[in-house]
Amino acid sequence: MKKLAIALFALALLVSPVFANGATETAAASSDEPVTIEVWYGAAITEAGPIPEDWVGYDILLEEHNINLILTALPSNESDQDVRIQAAGAANDLPDLFMVRRPVLTNLVKQGLVAPVDDYYALMPHRTEVMYDENAIRMTTIDGESFGFASPGAIVRNEGLLIRKDWLDNLGLEVPTTTEELREVLRAFTFDDPDGNGRDDTWGYGAFVESDTTINGYPGSRFFPLLGAFDVAGLWSFDSDHLGLNVYRPEFYDAMAYIRSLISEGLVDPNWLSYRKDDFRAAWKQGRFGVMKEQNAAFAAEANYAPFDANFPDGEWIVIDAITGPDGYASIGAYDQNYRIYAISQAAVDAGKAEKICELLEWMSSDEGYLLCGWGQEGINYVLDDNGIPTAGDLGDMAFSGTQGQVYTQLRNMVFYNSDTELASRYPTYTTATSGKTMSALTVLREMQEKEWTPAIGSGMMPTPNADVSRYYEQSLAEFLSGQRELTPETWQAFLDQFNRIGGQAWNEQGIAYAQENGLVY
Amino acid sequence: MTIDKKNKKNGSATVVVNAPLNNRGRLGREIKRHTSVYLLLLIPLIYYIIFKYVPIWNAQIAFKDFQARRGVLGSAWIGLQNFSDFINSFYFWELLRNTVFYSVGKIIISLPLSILLAIAIYECTRPVLRKIVQTLAYLPHFLSWVIMYGILLSLLAPADGVLNDIIRLCGGTPIDFLSNVSAFPWVVLISDAWKEMGWSAIIFIAALMGIDVSLFEAAMVEGANSWQRIRYITLPAIRPVIVTVLLLKIGTILDAGFDQIYMLYSPPVYSVADIIDTWVYRQGLLQFEFGLATAVGLFKGVFGMILMLISNKLVSRMNEGSSIF
Amino acid sequence: MADNEMKLQAEAVPATDGKKKKKEKVHLKPNLHNKTVRPTTADRVFQIIVDVFMVFILLVIVVPVWSTITLSFRPNTYIGTYLEGMFLPPWDWSIDAYKALLGNDGFALAFFNSLKILVGGVACALFLTVPMAYVMSVKTLPGRKILSTIVIIPYVFNVGMIPSYLLVTSIGLQNHLAAVFLPGAISTYNLIIMRQFFDGIPGELKESARIDGCSEIQVLMKIILPLSKAIVMTIGLYYGVSFWNNFFNAMLYISDNYLYPLPILLRNILMASGMNEYVEVNAFGNAPVQAIKAASVFLSAIPMVIAYPFIQKYFTKGTLLGSVKG
Repeated sequence: MKKLAIALFALALLVSPVFANGATETAAASSDEPVTIEVWYGAAITEAGPIPEDWVGYDILLEEHNINLILTALPSNESDQDVRIQAAGAANDLPDLFMVRRPVLTNLVKQGLVAPVDDYYALMPHRTEVMYDENAIRMTTIDGESFGFASPGAIVRNEGLLIRKDWLDNLGLEVPTTTEELREVLRAFTFDDPDGNGRDDTWGYGAFVESDTTINGYPGSRFFPLLGAFDVAGLWSFDSDHLGLNVYRPEFYDAMAYIRSLISEGLVDPNWLSYRKDDFRAAWKQGRFGVMKEQNAAFAAEANYAPFDANFPDGEWIVIDAITGPDGYASIGAYDQNYRIYAISQAAVDAGKAEKICELLEWMSSDEGYLLCGWGQEGINYVLDDNGIPTAGDLGDMAFSGTQGQVYTQLRNMVFYNSDTELASRYPTYTTATSGKTMSALTVLREMQEKEWTPAIGSGMMPTPNADVSRYYEQSLAEFLSGQRELTPETWQAFLDQFNRIGGQAWNEQGIAYAQENGLVY
Repeated sequence: MTIDKKNKKNGSATVVVNAPLNNRGRLGREIKRHTSVYLLLLIPLIYYIIFKYVPIWNAQIAFKDFQARRGVLGSAWIGLQNFSDFINSFYFWELLRNTVFYSVGKIIISLPLSILLAIAIYECTRPVLRKIVQTLAYLPHFLSWVIMYGILLSLLAPADGVLNDIIRLCGGTPIDFLSNVSAFPWVVLISDAWKEMGWSAIIFIAALMGIDVSLFEAAMVEGANSWQRIRYITLPAIRPVIVTVLLLKIGTILDAGFDQIYMLYSPPVYSVADIIDTWVYRQGLLQFEFGLATAVGLFKGVFGMILMLISNKLVSRMNEGSSIF
Repeated sequence: MADNEMKLQAEAVPATDGKKKKKEKVHLKPNLHNKTVRPTTADRVFQIIVDVFMVFILLVIVVPVWSTITLSFRPNTYIGTYLEGMFLPPWDWSIDAYKALLGNDGFALAFFNSLKILVGGVACALFLTVPMAYVMSVKTLPGRKILSTIVIIPYVFNVGMIPSYLLVTSIGLQNHLAAVFLPGAISTYNLIIMRQFFDGIPGELKESARIDGCSEIQVLMKIILPLSKAIVMTIGLYYGVSFWNNFFNAMLYISDNYLYPLPILLRNILMASGMNEYVEVNAFGNAPVQAIKAASVFLSAIPMVIAYPFIQKYFTKGTLLGSVKG
């Protein structure tokens, strides 16, 4: 009977190569047939549906450019995207053009799955001019060649330190400027009932953990204003005086001690370890804390501010200057240029599709493509105002910002480059419904950008550690901050020693070398 | 094997002897006699070969430096490199400990609870209560762990969770259940039990439905009370299913519930929360280390297989009629 | 213990003989405790414990479910703790979340795709699982042990994402709804549980049918299946729910956005805030995100919640052996 099993297994082995090697080659399209281009794009509004099948862009591309465009929206969060793309990579089944994060891009390049694009910039002169500057090209450069096109992502320095002005007024306090003044204000916000509702339900500082292994080192960017007061905002420091991981600097210990003292005094909303972004954003709208770091539109855009406005018509958040630390440092946070990389698969180049892909991208950046992808059709999805800015007008649901029309803007990510037109269109001035304030996320943005920030340009390109090293780093810092591990100079040194042993040192050295080679140091 | 008892029990005349077939001709006859049975097997077996064994064949990338452009067969052999990378990784023993803790813990807590629930539903004499519980109990299974995180936060958040509100009312200090190393494991085990209890109970309810009700009446006539009926009729009747479920769970002992841990854990509790699957996700799947990821899958398989064979042996020695092989 | 069991059963058989007709009626009634014998104290204590346990379970399940329900009706401007939220009076509820979800273009489409996956998946899975489980339960079958081994190996050796992905793409299954359910169309767990139930069916029934000239398929269809409605329904439900909830296969294998099933849409909704850069755009109008999340759960659970009571109908006590005797 064992023979039967062996025979079956042998059969399986014989059959399976047929399946295992089934990678199909797409034949190069002949000249008169439309070229099919498959694009995996990052949707602008992930929770809204895909671009409707009747989108005019499809027809224009087919008729005028002989391109049969097939669009697929990538999954809605980064991990899922990474898994999806790498799985397709493993099967050598990548689409022609796809959005990808730099760490994943590095993996794919190592596998030879992504094509170098240095020669293709010249094929799309206009797009290259508005989108692909030197920094952008450097963002996709791996070992001297550019793999993929990096278009500008979120606008930089778009977050600010916000404080509840009405709470300060209620308690007769001034806007804090130093870490010690901040501590006093947080104390008053926590213990002196700033909203006067007679309940002990407020905290000083509100945050959640928003960290990664490139720029937002643990405890993450929402704590940057506190870390910034000690000059250690950001995972890496590119200052030539102390190039390397910030965690090695003595100031980092001081910052940790400061944050820990705020936490142990109960001045930070204790939910900070458990909040996800949604919960955090719901929390400030419910008036749970009085100081936070928040993004301009998440704070001030009409839909986002409305619940706060309804709950607290007298409430008011103001953008304040960075807090100054004991040694005179002050920074809202570290910032890097943000990019979205679109890479061309090697398979697409092998199939002779590269030129058509460039034609597609160049069309997207033409006036026609730019407006169509960014806002939809004029008169249906947008109208131009006197300044030539696309607005929703009275188009209702079909407007680019309405529930029906917004799906036509899903490709925004591929065409937007943070021009003034875009910003003016995205962040219109409005009057709040309940309190009648005049608000504009654009004004807030400009205000936020003027504050003190720490440049960390190139963080997104820095080498990432393996999972064990990053786990050790995050876990240890979390244990110090939550009080599970006592924070003393000795325990801190012990942490650094162990961190070095398991690969932290190697990571740091690798990063320093990379920063020096690529001119990231200032 | 174990069939004889059952057949006797039913007063069967055809006693099937599963003695070793030492005679070739006899084996041939047996096979021929069962041709139509094998025919039924045809499609499922083809399915098995394609959908279960081709992936296993592809799993040879565990022993290779997998290069996507070269494919499964073209990649170079690297022996046990991927395995040793995993076993020598910094957190290996901790991962193994956490994984076994959670999967054993879940068996110990969830399995008895779901059996109890099934029996309670079966024995309950209030039709309305029974209907409501039976219908609601499996509802939590539909909550994905993303949603469950929201629910747990509303119950356990240190600042305003329902449980901490109650603790405060009683004069206690709030506990940060989700980021405290001593509370977190309980959160995992209890939330899993809560979510899956009703769902796992369904299979036991189905088993209970097979009990011949006349047995109970006879037992009552004999003067057996409810407890004795449970002990001598109900439990023995569903024992084979319990044992099978247990054996199957042992076979996948190193699967401790990726979705749940991935959604609930955070850096402060990594030391008690990180399991093999979450590690593989971070180190393997997100980093294009697919050979490593597959190697860990095989490692888990070997581990589970050994435990399963041992427990299967024990079960068939106890003559339970529910061993898998 | 085993001896006692045998004794009880041995005595039980004659006691029921000759009362077949009366028995039939009892079987149709789910509640069998038509007391012919006066309950003892132990019985009463037992019943109280059962009731207390049931009420306890009910509370434990209802409280968090209730908090999710109230969360889904929470207005945008809600202030207060979760505990207070559970007692929010219904006239303060807002149905914005449900309106927003049902108004989402993708929702109906995704729902329909999911239904296709559900129906196709369950049919396909039962078509494969039932015969295989039956064959495995034929005790005289030469090679039965090998068959068990063949079945168990892939169960234990879960080789993970990439080997399966390579298979699915190489047979060109991507972008078919079948890719969501085919890789899981035989779940070894369900298969073995089903075999376990088939094992419990007395062998002489099958034997006598075979002697009467029934083919194996006829034995399966006419003898086994009618006796196994509860388990087939249960396993069908297990399959159905696993396909209905399957997110991962859909994410990996389906790139045509018009074929996306519900779990993908839900994931997009649940995870949206992590990615969205255009935070000024609000896909859901006035509804708060937390309410949207909660509401999406209930909307997605609807078909299964509707289906379960129908399945429960087959869960009648004594179904199996009762029919054997009848």
